[in-house]
Amino acid sequence: MAMSLRHKHLDVIKRMLNLNQPLPAGGTGDDAVYKVLVVDKFCRDILSPLIHLHELRKHGVTICFMIDVERQNIPDAPAIYFVQPTAPNIHRIIQDAARGVYESFHLNFSSSLPRALLEELAMGALKNDCMHRLSKVFDQYAEFVTLDTAMFSLALPDTYVRLNDPSAQDKDIETAVDAIVNGLFSVFVTLGVVPVLRCARGGPAEMVATQLDARIRDHLVSRNNLFTEPGHFGTSFQRPLCCIFDRNFELSVGVQHVWTYRPLVHDVLGMKLNRVVVQGEGAAAGVAGKGAAKSFELDESDTFWVANNAAAFPKVAEEVEAQLKKYKEDVEEVNRRTGGRADVPFDEQELLGNTKHLMSAVNSLPELTERKKMIDKHTNIATALLGEIKSRNLDGFYSLEEDMLTKGTVDKTALLGALKGKGTSDDKLRLGLVYLLSMESAAGAEIESVEAALREARVDVTSFLYVKRIRSLNISLASVNTGSKSNLVDWLSTTVTAGVKNFLSAGRQLALTRTVESLMEARLAPELESYMTLDPRAPKGSAPGIHTKGPFKEAVVFMIGGGNYLEHGSLVELGQRCQPGKNIIYGCTEVVTGAELSRQLGVLGHKMGVDASA
Amino acid sequence: MALARRDRTEAFRDAVRAAAASIPQCDEVKIASSLIMHRTLELLPFTAAALEILGHIRTMESFILERRKDYLDRQRCTEEERDNIEHEVGLSVKACKQRIDDLKNSIAGGKKSFWKGAVNADLNAHQHGIVLMLSEKLHAVTTIFDALRASRFQKALDKTLPKRRPHLQSATAQLEAELSNRTAAATSFNRENLQELQPSQAQIVLDSETRALQEELSNLLDTAEDTERKMLEVSALNHLFSSYVFQQSQQIELLYQQAVEATENVNKGNKELRKTIERNTSSRTFLLMFLTILPLSLLFLDWYNG
Repeated sequence: MAMSLRHKHLDVIKRMLNLNQPLPAGGTGDDAVYKVLVVDKFCRDILSPLIHLHELRKHGVTICFMIDVERQNIPDAPAIYFVQPTAPNIHRIIQDAARGVYESFHLNFSSSLPRALLEELAMGALKNDCMHRLSKVFDQYAEFVTLDTAMFSLALPDTYVRLNDPSAQDKDIETAVDAIVNGLFSVFVTLGVVPVLRCARGGPAEMVATQLDARIRDHLVSRNNLFTEPGHFGTSFQRPLCCIFDRNFELSVGVQHVWTYRPLVHDVLGMKLNRVVVQGEGAAAGVAGKGAAKSFELDESDTFWVANNAAAFPKVAEEVEAQLKKYKEDVEEVNRRTGGRADVPFDEQELLGNTKHLMSAVNSLPELTERKKMIDKHTNIATALLGEIKSRNLDGFYSLEEDMLTKGTVDKTALLGALKGKGTSDDKLRLGLVYLLSMESAAGAEIESVEAALREARVDVTSFLYVKRIRSLNISLASVNTGSKSNLVDWLSTTVTAGVKNFLSAGRQLALTRTVESLMEARLAPELESYMTLDPRAPKGSAPGIHTKGPFKEAVVFMIGGGNYLEHGSLVELGQRCQPGKNIIYGCTEVVTGAELSRQLGVLGHKMGVDASA
Repeated sequence: MALARRDRTEAFRDAVRAAAASIPQCDEVKIASSLIMHRTLELLPFTAAALEILGHIRTMESFILERRKDYLDRQRCTEEERDNIEHEVGLSVKACKQRIDDLKNSIAGGKKSFWKGAVNADLNAHQHGIVLMLSEKLHAVTTIFDALRASRFQKALDKTLPKRRPHLQSATAQLEAELSNRTAAATSFNRENLQELQPSQAQIVLDSETRALQEELSNLLDTAEDTERKMLEVSALNHLFSSYVFQQSQQIELLYQQAVEATENVNKGNKELRKTIERNTSSRTFLLMFLTILPLSLLFLDWYNG
């Protein structure tokens, strides 16, 4: 069963727009009813990567409003509210219903509406005598943002800070874990499957896994459970594996510099919800006027993006060139065939054939304009990226970090030189952090020298000191990179396979990918012994059944505390590499850039009392 | 199914009833009846008109889809019937377009006549959205019909093209056969009736004249067919170009409006600049006068005092 998260999410939204009636075969709802959509900020972020404004019109929605804006009466239109179930939203809904802003209200909450709020809604409706207006109340279980076919985010900011905060109360951690479990539950309801959970012991991953397990278990025993299963085929129905990881499992991936197209666009240009804003020419020096900021959309409908988002940056530039050349050739061809040139002699006989060519050429014009727009868009993005890379010397940072992370050795002079050279303070901080995280056996003096270099470069070293402190407390942060050296044969095999894998894939293997691979193939690896398995379908306390062992064809990998496109890319590569292709969905609490993550580490450092001047 | 769990309407209604029970002064019967009874939707005249237009567009669409098979298939429809269908569809498209435009004007017109107070911007936006959806639907239906028409043209084109060749070939074959027949007959005639030279000579002259006429006529036929085909192509291209030119005209209108706005802005800018220059000069003169008069007055006072 191929799970396309985006497809299923879009289905849920379309059904909601059709007033929760089943959709006809055509895929678009009945457009004889002119509806109005009201959303809050979170739900607008959910909708924006999935559906565009003009597509809303196809489903009969004329306009989309924000809930907290003052709105005027549209007395004859039904309104679809798609909001989070919070108290301020409920009050606003009651206000609107009392004023009779719309004819009828179809309320859709992005996750389950708690009993207390439902009663508050009922009480408010009763007091204002407007119960007849609230025609439907639905729980949509759609509280997550689907960014790509196989990638989602829960849009919960600063989770890493909250979960690792040394001064955090139990209550805070519980609320954070609750929010994560809520989001994950919505994901599984949308997919319609009950997964098998696996996670490492200790830490937020275990908390999230146990709570999620309990929640799914409760749900399954209640009536009308949401998890459809084709009959009771049991063994023939493959359940997916859900692996939950914590950011501390592999911190280096979050802060390192990147070199492939999609992670670069995200890191350097700040891609949010598949949208990128690029400054035009002339605005780089801060001169307002000629250079306007243009916003581009990068999603599945862009074929160039889909084909090249995992390619290294130089290759992308080549591809753009090649596409541009092909486009120019095609335009030449069209011009030639239709006699667009002035020097072609006027021939009676040719004219006849020319008219046919003319028609086909004119028909192909829209397609050519589309291609040109796409090529322009990518040229702009690539130029902006190139500018940034040159000014910040990002390729130097990237190569240094790759060396450190793959080989475990570092060229000290090159490192110190890079810290003194070009680049923003964020870049240098990230380089320092990667150095700390990859050097397992670095001497104290070396770390001191790196720290001194960072201070010289006027970089805020709080996060550096925080990571240093954590390392000294022996909390495992480093990824198991070079494998355990205990067994010679093991060591040889791991290095050989690592070398071969490095050769085959463009970059190094992330620890995450390796772990997911071994979990999916149910290999008995020593580091996985400590991973616990939870199966919500099995009765409590029983031994894990056949479903929970054995190779899994599908997986949902979730990273608590912030993920990025680099991990997603490597998981996609893993999925394609296996024979036959496996379907791996990647999710995280929020998508962070390296700078953002290092800032969160800095916040944690301040909270821990690691003073920058110490 | 999965939907059943998500529908909390029943739970909501139960909560309302429970809340009503807890508040003593509530009229429970009224509440229960209002929950169960379904209110009818009262439409604004605008929306009613829009729904009517939508109905028209839908009937037109079903009409096109029904007749599509007849239209495309060669044998089932004569050219006349096809022209009839096209004519009808064209008329109804025009009528629908007219009504959509009327509806759009009524949004702007209604603003002035009905609401003298605050303009209901949201309602306007909603109605504009409805008009946009209607015109999109109309556009979709017309594209379907255009595709049908284009395929009809294509079939007509293909029909005339290969017919030319076999027609010509059969004509020449016919001519040659006749010619050989005639010569055979003529020679046989010649051998047999040598004394009837006069009538046979007249015969030969007649024959040659007939042959010349035949050739001329066949040439004319060829040119006529050529012209007919070219006309078809030209009309198809014309149709195609008209749609593109229409699109372009909309873009040009947009550009024109922007250009007008830009000139207005430039004019305003000029006015502002002129005012600034004036102010500059006037302030400068004032300052100079001030600076000359004050020292002079100082000197005068100084002289006066001592």
